[in-house]
Amino acid sequence: MNAIFALTVPLLFLFSFGFALFRKVKLYDSFTEGMKRAIPLVVSIFPYIASVAMLTKLLEASGLETQITQAITPAFSLFGVPTEIAPLLFIKPLSGGGAISTLTDILQRYGADSYVARCACVAYGSSETIFYIGAVYFAGSKRKKLPLALAISVFSYLASVVLCCVLCRFM
Amino acid sequence: MNAIFSVLFLGSAIVLFFLSPEQFLPTLIDGASKSAALCFALIATYAVWLGLMNVWTDSGVTTGASRLLRPLMRRLFKTDDRQTLDAVCMNTAVNLLGISGAATAYGLTAAKRLENAEHAEYSCAMLFVLNATSIQVLPTSVIGVRTALGSANPADILLPTLLATAFSTLLGLALVRLLIPPCKRQTRQGALPLTLLKTGGTGI
Repeated sequence: MNAIFALTVPLLFLFSFGFALFRKVKLYDSFTEGMKRAIPLVVSIFPYIASVAMLTKLLEASGLETQITQAITPAFSLFGVPTEIAPLLFIKPLSGGGAISTLTDILQRYGADSYVARCACVAYGSSETIFYIGAVYFAGSKRKKLPLALAISVFSYLASVVLCCVLCRFM
Repeated sequence: MNAIFSVLFLGSAIVLFFLSPEQFLPTLIDGASKSAALCFALIATYAVWLGLMNVWTDSGVTTGASRLLRPLMRRLFKTDDRQTLDAVCMNTAVNLLGISGAATAYGLTAAKRLENAEHAEYSCAMLFVLNATSIQVLPTSVIGVRTALGSANPADILLPTLLATAFSTLLGLALVRLLIPPCKRQTRQGALPLTLLKTGGTGI
């Protein structure tokens, strides 16, 4: 599986550059021209990434994160989601780095092939870092319905987690 | 975002104020320095993908790929603007390939252009939900972790993951359609008499 992905990116570059040469594109000029946009792009999203990161750290340091996780745990077990993966479900929409370390922790604690671990893996893969995407994409946006869109995303994510725990029993 | 940020920030700041106030500033700086490091890494990632993306634009790959996805995206996003559709199509295509670095770059372009589109509320929400619940065809990082921790069959979560991620995306799309419906041609109807007037004026 890893081998397939390892080949995807090199092949993507080989085909893209080969095709560009075939279309008589000035490859070096074009490649460097695109790169110029990297620094302004990152500079423009830095404040939003930084504030979400500060918020995540604050939640962690104040212990509020553990409290919220404990508070929502009974709701999960009601829907058949193993309570062991509740910390992952909470951190996943907030922080990509935090989610992968929580996932590793769950896999180490319960074994990589256990039911809990498989649920955690599927839950991890079922959506993106929702709040981070919201912070970056719609920085300074004037649209009023974005909180609703955020709620829709979180709801769809949680619904798919419930589904995946059912799926993991059979697959 | 403002409301969520204020509530969570103030809430945890107050708790921290009573528990260990001396930790407050180091915590904030820790978060900021983590994100500074992340941004530094992002410059490198974006340099690679934005370079490749420009090669795609110059060699016509963008136009080709977006021609395939455009009919679907036009209906999904309710916009006819060519460059917006290009960005949205490439954002989706790259998301499906699992290259999140390039997806963000296209997504940001799309978000800026949709901000002033005809059905902005609807299409911005759509873009956000599509990216937030994004379909993951190859969950490489998960498979990586499972392999490292000695799973017997690291790839056996592929099918359930694909089903769960497809389900979350479809549910998200349906909910956006239902809860944030695009307004029905209000601006078009308003614009129609104006254009008639204009052509009438030049005729005389």
